[in-house]
Amino acid sequence: MKRFTLFLSLLVALSLVLSACGGGAAPEAPAAEEPAATDAPAAEEPAAPAAPSVLKIANTANITTWDPIASFSTEAAYMANVYEQLLKVNPPGSAEQFTPLLAESWESNEDGTVWTFNLRSGVTFHDGEPMNADAVVKSLDAARTSGGASFIWWMVDSIEAVDDLTVQFNLSASAPIDLIASSLYGAWIVSPKALDAAAADENYWANGVEAGTGPYVIESYIPDQEIVFQKFENYWGGWEDDQYDTVLVQIVPEALTQQQLLESGSVDLVTSIPRENYGSFKDNPDYTYYEEPSFFNYVGFFNTTRAPLDNAKVRQALSYAIPYDDIIQIGVKGLGTQSRGPVPAGVWPWSPDVNQYTYDIDKAKELLKEAGYEGGGFSLRLTYAAENATHEAYAPLIKDAYAELGVDVTIEAIAFGQQWEEAKGDPANAQDMFLLLYWPTYSDAGSDNLWSMFYYTEKPFFNLSYWNNPEFNTLVDEAIGLTVTDPAASQAKYVEAMNLLVEEAAGLFFFDTKAVFIIPNSIEGFQYNLNYPFVQYFFYDLRPAK
Amino acid sequence: MRATSLMRHLEFILRRLLTSLFVLLGVSIITFFIARVVPTDAASLYAGPKARPEELARIREKLGLDKPLPTQYAIYMSELLQGDLGNSISTKRPITQEISDRLPATLELLFAGMFVAMLIGVPLGVLSARWQGKLPDLVVRLISIVGVSMPAFFLGLLLQIIFFRNLEWLPLIGRLDANMRFVSPVTEITRFIVLDSLLTRNWVALKDALLHLILPAFTLAAYPIGLIARMTRATMLEVLEQDYIRTARAYGIRDSVITYLYALKNAISPTLTVIGLTFAFALTGTFFVEIIFTWPGLGLFTTRSLLNLDYPAIMGMTLLGASGYVLINLIVDVVQSWVDPRVSLN
Repeated sequence: MKRFTLFLSLLVALSLVLSACGGGAAPEAPAAEEPAATDAPAAEEPAAPAAPSVLKIANTANITTWDPIASFSTEAAYMANVYEQLLKVNPPGSAEQFTPLLAESWESNEDGTVWTFNLRSGVTFHDGEPMNADAVVKSLDAARTSGGASFIWWMVDSIEAVDDLTVQFNLSASAPIDLIASSLYGAWIVSPKALDAAAADENYWANGVEAGTGPYVIESYIPDQEIVFQKFENYWGGWEDDQYDTVLVQIVPEALTQQQLLESGSVDLVTSIPRENYGSFKDNPDYTYYEEPSFFNYVGFFNTTRAPLDNAKVRQALSYAIPYDDIIQIGVKGLGTQSRGPVPAGVWPWSPDVNQYTYDIDKAKELLKEAGYEGGGFSLRLTYAAENATHEAYAPLIKDAYAELGVDVTIEAIAFGQQWEEAKGDPANAQDMFLLLYWPTYSDAGSDNLWSMFYYTEKPFFNLSYWNNPEFNTLVDEAIGLTVTDPAASQAKYVEAMNLLVEEAAGLFFFDTKAVFIIPNSIEGFQYNLNYPFVQYFFYDLRPAK
Repeated sequence: MRATSLMRHLEFILRRLLTSLFVLLGVSIITFFIARVVPTDAASLYAGPKARPEELARIREKLGLDKPLPTQYAIYMSELLQGDLGNSISTKRPITQEISDRLPATLELLFAGMFVAMLIGVPLGVLSARWQGKLPDLVVRLISIVGVSMPAFFLGLLLQIIFFRNLEWLPLIGRLDANMRFVSPVTEITRFIVLDSLLTRNWVALKDALLHLILPAFTLAAYPIGLIARMTRATMLEVLEQDYIRTARAYGIRDSVITYLYALKNAISPTLTVIGLTFAFALTGTFFVEIIFTWPGLGLFTTRSLLNLDYPAIMGMTLLGASGYVLINLIVDVVQSWVDPRVSLN
């Protein structure tokens, strides 16, 4: 009797455990007998000939806003498939610098202060409105007055519609409007009707509403879950049979999860795979592995307003003491190259003529001695954004390296917002060292990286070294002024400015990162464009492999 | 007699409701001021790091951050009373909308998890008590210890590796297969996918939704299973010592009847409290589970809000969590007083 009850109890428990593992919540279908749900429909798909061609992508990018004027973050990965600029910058090494999008041709006056763009005719927005000069003026006026990246247009006095398909930019200073108009942020052309509607209702865009001219329209959006794109039948660029009708994006924040989805065939493309697993794809004949230069670099700022970092010799010593190769190995698993100043390789006005520091601990010690700090004896407080795993990985190497000089480093990982607040406060109370991941807003790292990070203004923008060097300021001003009229002279000025920066060691220039893409051979047409770092895939370029 | 008992119940519920309101008011004050004391500038968070001063000033005005703190609190409270939690900094959408969009996913997971937890935890506890000191007891105690101590993120990943990668039985992430929209789209009614597909007799989607629920629900249930099993075991042991059980045995009533019918009924009350509390606990437990399984609920949203210092969203979620806790406690108290009259209504 007792034994029977035991048996019964065990049986009940066992069946419960089994049902929980296998189908606790699915009593009618023991999971063990069913194929994984993710596999089944994928296998059935080719059987239905009328089915639209669907591209499935797992993407990490969040949507912080669907407002094309305000957008200044990761949502560009999606919006760049929906909205277009006047022009697009081609990858470095292309025959032409630009691809015309909504503009067909453009020119500037001799000193680069008046620019005229001739627009493409017959283009309509997704909401049916015509794309014309008035629409361009309205969009760009909104972008430069209230946009997320409004500052890129700082030199624009006015934008006028000359006729229905001609737009003229009047500038207060010479500037490369062709580059600025190709910016990923603050340069999309939006339907005027939608802009009016958005002005009346601040939540107008919230649920994935869009009104661009791009090849895809947003069909539906479920926050944190998925976005469905459909091709825009009337796209001015036209359609070929094998382009994708539908693009299904799943928002998947975890890189490892993305890898599993890719390997199981649940998705066609992913945007993020754990770095330590790249090796398995490099050798796999089913995938193509791309390792490309990127828009991003890692820099460190020295607080130059107080001792001992106000002394250039100390900063030079600290620059010599950095084990650059180790930092690249540990920080990004070797996927980077040591920087030459604050401009990432491949981006204007990068130049191989800019000097670098190489690791030399003896020289560092000697310089410290010359500066009156023999054997170190001071301590520094270093901050970095806790969200960034790369900083987290390499920051301890800086501490170790400086310990050899007798310099004690306290590392503080804090939320970027907090780090930023502290750095923007009084420099006298701010950190000694600030690590930063930086990228230019558009493809001009002269007027962005160099100006933003090291040009002295009373209230610093990104100049968190608080570095104040009039000679550098003059050189940058001159270089910016020459960008359009005499690029070679402009670059020479930039190089001079960067060498001054390196000589004075206003900051640490760690490395430019490389972008890695792992593309299954079942997809064709992928082309990496470093100028649009937040857009991993332009859906229009992609096709299933034949 | 019956009427007074009912009155006392009502009075009890009313009193508990009032104290709950005070608790929530306190939570709102604390979260509001903590969010304002944190050394971050909401306007610069809103505008992003590259914003210029003019833009920051414009946003400060838009968000009402240029007004004095008490005024800001008054505005916040008056909006709160109208059911408006403000806009999220990181998504720029109303927080009430963010919550209502995601709540069904979280609740679905929560209910499934608690269902699994009770379904497994209670019988395990009974089994363990029934065979105290014997093999089943040892096994159950081991299971409870493992369940209570294994971190959700570890268990979740482990289950993914086994059931998705190795066995290929269960899906990896999400609530529904991405292809379902083409194969057999679910009509939204309640936004509980299981319920919606059941109501619309969409069996394909139902099966898929249930398959997607298994791993996250089990991961979420692991901790409550351990806790419930141990609690049930302890109270069962106590009850099985009672005189009336011995009397029942003396009458020759079958062991199984005694255990499952007489003893369990009297042992369930303290377990009910534990279940209620773990329910509230599991609400926060869903956060980990949602991250691992990319489950589009409140957990994913809250994690992102925390990382972005999206303080209106954090405040909204804290308030929601506190309300959930208070509500569940209230329900447990009321149910308990109803199940077990010995529980004092004072």
